[in-house]
Amino acid sequence: MISRVAESCFWLNRHVERIDALARMLDVSQSFQLDVDLRAAERWRPMVIVVGEEAAFEGKIPAPLRDDGETVQRFLCFDEACGASIHSSLRSARENARTIRETVSVEMWMTLNDLWLWFTDRKAQRLYNSDRSAFYAHLRNQCALFHGHATATMLHEDPLEFMRLGTALERAAQTARLLDVKHHAIGPETEGPESADEAAQWLAVLRSSAAVEPFFKRPENEVSGESIARFLLFDPGFPRSVLHNLRRMENFLNLLRSEAYPEMGAPSRKLLDATLVAFESGGFARVMATGLHATLTALVDRTIELGSQIHADYFAVSTRPARDSKRSMEE
Amino acid sequence: MTETDARRSGLFSRYRPLPDSFDEYADAAGKVRPEAARVVRLIEGLGRDEVRARKKLADATFLKSGVTFSVYSDERGSERIFPFDLIPRIIADADWQRVSQGLLQRIRALNAFLADVYGPQRILAEGLIEPEHVLGAKAYEPKAHGVAPPGGVYVVIAGIDLIRDPNGEFLVLEDNVRTPSGVSYVLENRLVMKRVFPRVFAQSRVEPVDEYPSRLRAALGSLAPDGEEGLVVLTPGPFNSAYFEHSFLARRMGCPLVQGSDLYVEDDRVWARTTLGPQPVRVIYRRLDDPFLDPDCFRKDSMLGVPGLFGAYAKGNVALANAIGNGVADDKAIYPYVPDMIRFYLGEEPKLGQVKTFICAREDDCKYVLDNVGKLVIKAVNEAGGYGMLIGPQSTRKQQAEFKRRIRENPRSYIAQPRVDFSTCPTWTSRGIEPRRVDLRPYVVTGAEGSWVLPGGLSRVALVKGSYVVNSSQGGGSKDTWVVEEDRG
Repeated sequence: MISRVAESCFWLNRHVERIDALARMLDVSQSFQLDVDLRAAERWRPMVIVVGEEAAFEGKIPAPLRDDGETVQRFLCFDEACGASIHSSLRSARENARTIRETVSVEMWMTLNDLWLWFTDRKAQRLYNSDRSAFYAHLRNQCALFHGHATATMLHEDPLEFMRLGTALERAAQTARLLDVKHHAIGPETEGPESADEAAQWLAVLRSSAAVEPFFKRPENEVSGESIARFLLFDPGFPRSVLHNLRRMENFLNLLRSEAYPEMGAPSRKLLDATLVAFESGGFARVMATGLHATLTALVDRTIELGSQIHADYFAVSTRPARDSKRSMEE
Repeated sequence: MTETDARRSGLFSRYRPLPDSFDEYADAAGKVRPEAARVVRLIEGLGRDEVRARKKLADATFLKSGVTFSVYSDERGSERIFPFDLIPRIIADADWQRVSQGLLQRIRALNAFLADVYGPQRILAEGLIEPEHVLGAKAYEPKAHGVAPPGGVYVVIAGIDLIRDPNGEFLVLEDNVRTPSGVSYVLENRLVMKRVFPRVFAQSRVEPVDEYPSRLRAALGSLAPDGEEGLVVLTPGPFNSAYFEHSFLARRMGCPLVQGSDLYVEDDRVWARTTLGPQPVRVIYRRLDDPFLDPDCFRKDSMLGVPGLFGAYAKGNVALANAIGNGVADDKAIYPYVPDMIRFYLGEEPKLGQVKTFICAREDDCKYVLDNVGKLVIKAVNEAGGYGMLIGPQSTRKQQAEFKRRIRENPRSYIAQPRVDFSTCPTWTSRGIEPRRVDLRPYVVTGAEGSWVLPGGLSRVALVKGSYVVNSSQGGGSKDTWVVEEDRG
C-alpha cells in the first residue's frame, strides 16, 4: 500500500486511542475527586503532565486557575492550543480519515465525521454542562464503534494492520503514562503500607484503564500499588497492559511481513524484539528494583523509538528493499 | 400547472413557467409533460411539510457522509455541502437517446481533432482553421506533438455542458475534456434521493447511474501499456476543493488515491512509494491540470506533480487520462469550429446544435461584439467556473465599458455569444416551487473498446431568482437527473 496512506492509518488509530484514553482518564478523575481529599496540586495538574502539555497549559492558563478542575478539563477537552486535547486529537483523526477515505470504510468515516460534527456543535457543550459522565461516555462509545466497524468492514490486510499497530503502540504508551500519573500525584514511591487515600488513588488508576473487573478476575490480585502496577504492566491478557500491547505489535509486524521482501520492516521487528526481551526479563521484581517511575519513563521513550523506527521502515521508504538474497542466487 | 394535480396538496398548482423559456416539467400551455407526470403526482401526494422534512434529511445526509467541497477562501478550511434541490430534473428516454448519439459523435470528433493537431495537422493544412488559432492557443502543448497516447484515446473522460433552448433543443454550451468534475455528485445525489424518496423511486423507471465507476475502471484498464495493472487516481491533495470526488472515485474503483509525492519516475517508468517498496504504475487518472503535472517539463514551481512524468508518458510507459494537451480541444475559441470538425473528420452532420459564437480574434466578429456588448454574453477564453464573464443584458454601463477595454486590448482572449434563455425546472424555494434555470453536464467515458454515456448527468441549477449562473461558487446547486421512460399509465 502507498506509504503515506499507511502512515495515515497508523496515526488515525493513535489519535482515536488518545481520545478514548483521555476521555476515560478525565471521567475517572472527575468522580474520583469526590471520594478523596487530595491536596489541590495532586488533583488535576498530573493530567496535564501525563499528556505532555505543561508548556501550553502554563502559557495559556493564569497561575491561580491552574489547579481548578473545570479549567483543566476545559483545556484538555476543547482547547485547540493544546495539541493533546480531545478537540485536537479528534480533528487530526477526522482529517486523517478524510484524507484516506478511499481506504477506511464508509462506516468508519461516518462514525468519526458524526462525532466531529457533534463535538463542534452546541449539543456537545450542552451535554458537557449537564451530564459530564455521559459526555465522556459518548466519546468512548464512538471510539469503540469506530474499532468495531474497522474489524467488521475492512479487509483484514495491511491497512487494518497498520491501524491496529497504531492502536497497540498508543495503548502501551498510554498505560505507561497513566501509571506515571500516580508518581506525579504523590511523588516517589513511599515505603510501608498505603493509606486509604493512596489505595483510592490506585483504584482510580485501575478505573482509568477500564481495568477494575479484569483486575479482580485474577484471584491473587489485591488493591495495592504493587499489585496494580504489575497487572497493568505484565498481565498477558488485559487489553491495555503494556506486555499485551507489545505482543500485539509483534503480531501485527509479523502479519505485515512480505515473502518477496523479507528485509522489509526488519529493524522495527528487531527493536520490538529487544524491547520485549528487556521488558520481560527480570519481570516485576526488576521493575521494583529499578523504580517504577524510571521504568515507565524508559518505556515511554521506547514507544517513541518504536514509532520512529516504524516510520523509517514503512512510511519513508523510497528505494526498493533487497529481495530475498538466497532466492536471487538461485535465479 | 393545470391538470388534475391541483386537487392534491396543490404544491404545483401555482407553478408558472417563464414566458420565453422551455420548462422541463410543463409545456407552453402549462400542462404537465408526460415524462414528469408521475413525479408531480408523487410530490404532490407528500405535501409541503413532508417535502420540507425530506429536504432537511437530504442536507443532513450530505453533511454526515462528508459529501462536501472545501472553500478555498476560508482560512479554517471549512467544508460546505453543494446545495441540493429535491425536485429531480427529468429527461424522456427518447430525448436522451438523441442527446446520447450527439455526444458520442462529438467525442469522436474531438478525439480525432486532438490526434490530428498533435499529429499530421491535416485540418490546419486544409485551411479549416487558421493554424495560428490552434498553435498559438494557450492550451496548445507543443511538447505533446508527436506523442500518441495509449490506445489513441485522448479524451477518456468528457463532461459536455448542455443547455436547452426555448424550443427544447439541447445545445452544447461548452466542452470539458481536461479534468471535468462533478460525477461524484451524480452518484451521491442519486443515493440520497433513494433514501429520501424511496416510494417515488419504486414507482418510476429511472435509468441507474451507479455503473459509472466500473465503466471508468474498465476504460482506464484498457489503456494500460502492455495490459498490465497498476491504476491510480492522482489528486492535488486534501486541500483541493474536489478532493471528495477524487477519493470517491478511487474508493469506488478500488484503486489507490495518490498525491504527486507518492510517485516518482526512474528510467522513464513511474513508481509508487509503498510499504513494500516501489510498485509500478501504468495508468494514472490524474485530476491535476497539465501545468502542474511535471515540474521538470511544465511549471517549475509545481509542488503537486511528479518530476519526469512527461518523459514516462512520452515513452509510452504510462497512460494518462486525460491526455496531455487536451485543453486545445475544449478551448472556448476552438469551440465554434467543432461542427466543422465533425464534418471534416466524420463526414457527418452534427447531431447536437451549439450556441452561435463570435470570436473576437476575427476583425468582423470583434466589431460586432464591441457594438453589441449589452446583448451578448462575453467570456474570457482561459477562465472557467463562471469567472471572467459578462452577461450583457444584466450588466451596468461601467462593466460594459470595462469589458470593451479588455477586448480591445486583447481580442484573442475573448469570445461572445448571444444569451440563450435556457430551460427551467421546478425548484424548491422559500416561496414554494418556482422555475429556475438548469444546465446539464453528461459524462462520456471512452476506453480502447469504445465509449459509454452515463444516463443523465449532473444538472446544475441557478438557485437565485432570475439568475443564469449555475456554478456552485456563485449560488448554484444541483439536482438529480432522471432519464425515464414516458409514463403511459
